[in-house]
Amino acid sequence: MNAISSDFAPPLKLIAPFFRYGVIFYLLSMMALLFFDPSFSYQQMEVAGWLHLFLLGFVMMVIFGAMAQLIPVVLEVGHVVVDVYYVILPLLGVGTTMMIAGFWLVPPLLSYGGLLVLTGMVIFAFENIATLKKSALRNLTVDTVKWSNGYLLLGILTGFSIALGFAGSVSIDVALMLKAHVYAVLGGYVLLTIMGLSLTLIPMFSLAHGFDEMPIRQAFKLVVLGVGTVFIGALLGTEWGMLLGYLLSFAGTLFYIWQIYIIAMLTVRKEVDVWAKSMIFAFGSLIFAMMAGMVYLLTDAESMLHTAVWFFLLGFVSLMIIGHLYKIIPFLVWFERYAPLVGKEKVPMLHEMYSKEGASVMFGFTASGVVLGGLGLLFECDILFKAGGSFLFAGAIFLYITTKKMLAYGQ
Amino acid sequence: MCNITKETAFEAISTVIDPEVGFNLVEMGLIYDVIVDEACNVHVVMTLSTQGCPLHQMIKQWVQEAVEKLEGVGTVEVEVVWKPAWNISMADENVKQALGGA
Repeated sequence: MNAISSDFAPPLKLIAPFFRYGVIFYLLSMMALLFFDPSFSYQQMEVAGWLHLFLLGFVMMVIFGAMAQLIPVVLEVGHVVVDVYYVILPLLGVGTTMMIAGFWLVPPLLSYGGLLVLTGMVIFAFENIATLKKSALRNLTVDTVKWSNGYLLLGILTGFSIALGFAGSVSIDVALMLKAHVYAVLGGYVLLTIMGLSLTLIPMFSLAHGFDEMPIRQAFKLVVLGVGTVFIGALLGTEWGMLLGYLLSFAGTLFYIWQIYIIAMLTVRKEVDVWAKSMIFAFGSLIFAMMAGMVYLLTDAESMLHTAVWFFLLGFVSLMIIGHLYKIIPFLVWFERYAPLVGKEKVPMLHEMYSKEGASVMFGFTASGVVLGGLGLLFECDILFKAGGSFLFAGAIFLYITTKKMLAYGQ
Repeated sequence: MCNITKETAFEAISTVIDPEVGFNLVEMGLIYDVIVDEACNVHVVMTLSTQGCPLHQMIKQWVQEAVEKLEGVGTVEVEVVWKPAWNISMADENVKQALGGA
C-alpha cells in the first residue's frame, strides 16, 4: 500500500453540495411519503416518481459526492478530471427535479429530465472508469467499482429506453424493461457500491483488523452473476432466468452479511454512536428484507414484495448512507478547515463536530418510521403507514438540521 | 554531542493526536521505533490504524514536524510500514479501555 496523498482530496466546496442537496431531496422524499397509502402498484407513475426522487435525489446524489472523495482513497490515485463533479451536480439535481415533475405533473418533462440525468451519470461513469485505468491497484474494491459502473450504464440506458417508451418514441415492453432497469440500478449499482465501500469504511471506522475476506469475494461474484442473470432474463422475458438471478443475488447477499458479521466480531471500538446504531439497524433491515423477499418468491404476495423493498431502501440503503454522513462530513470539514492548524492551535475532534443529541433524535425517529411504515405495508394498514411516514419526515428534519450544522462547523 | 534520545523523540510525537479517536499516536501504539544516530538524524518507524486512511500523508507530516521542533535535530525521516499490522493490543491500557477493547 502506497501513500495516499492529500493532494488527491477534492475540495470541500466540490463535495459538500452533493451532501447538502442529497439531504434536501431526502427531506422532500420523506415529506412526499405522507401523501401515499400502503396499497399501490410499483408501476404507478406516482410511485415511480417517489422512487426516483429518493434514489436519484438522495441515494445517487450522496453516493456520487462520497465517490468523489473515496475514489482516490480506494484507488490510491487522483481523479483524471475531478472538475467534472461541478457539472455532474447540476445535471443530476436539475434532471431529477424535471423527472419528478414529469412523473407527477407534466409528463413531457420526463424525457428531458432523463436526458440530463443520463448525461450526468455517463460523465460520472466514464470519469470513474478513466481513473480506474490510471490506478495500478487491483483488488476487490477496485473490481466492485468497475462492475458497479458497468451496471450503472446499463441501468441508465434501460431507464432512458423506458422514458422513450412512455413518450411513444420507441416500442418496447415497458414491464420487462422496468425489471431490468430496477435490478441493474438497485442490485448492480447501489448494492455493489455499498458492498465495496462498506468493506473499506466499516473496518476503518470500527478499527477491525485481520479478517478473512473469503465471504465478500463469494458475495461479490454471486451478486455480479445474479444481477447479470436477472438483467438478461428480464430482457428476454424468461421467468426462470430471473428467478435464478434472484436466488444467486440472495446467496450473494447472505455471504455479504456473513462478512459483516466477521468484521463486527473483530470490532475494537465498542462505542455505540449514531454510526454504529445505524449500521446495526441497516443490517437488521437487510436481513428482514431478504426474509420478506423470500416469502414473496414463495407466495407471490404483493405486500411481501412492498415490505422487502421498503426495508431494503429505507432501512438498509438509507441508514447505511445516513450513518456514514455523520462520519464523512465531519472528516471533510475537519480536513479542510482544521488540518492546516494541527500543531499550531487546539483543533476539535471529529466526534465533537456534530450534535449527538440531534443525531440521536434523528435515528430514533427514522428507525421507528422504518419499522412502523414497514408494518403498515405488510398489513396494508393505512394508520401504521402514515405514522411511519410522519416519523420518517420528523427524522429527516433532524437529519437536515444536523447536516447543515456539520457543514457550517468552524466557518 | 546529540541530546536527542528515543524517549525525547517519543515525547515529541505524543503531541500528535489522531482526530478520529482522540488519542495521541504513541499511546495508540502506532509508533514502532525511533532511531537516532550520532549526527542527531531521526528515523521514525510507524504504522496507521487502517491502510485506507485518507490522512496518511498528513499524519506523516505531523510526526515529522513534531520531531523537527526538537532542538539540535538533524534530518527527520518518517517511514510508514504495514508489517506488523497494528492491532488494539499494541495500544496503552487507557486507550483499550476507552475504546472498549480491553
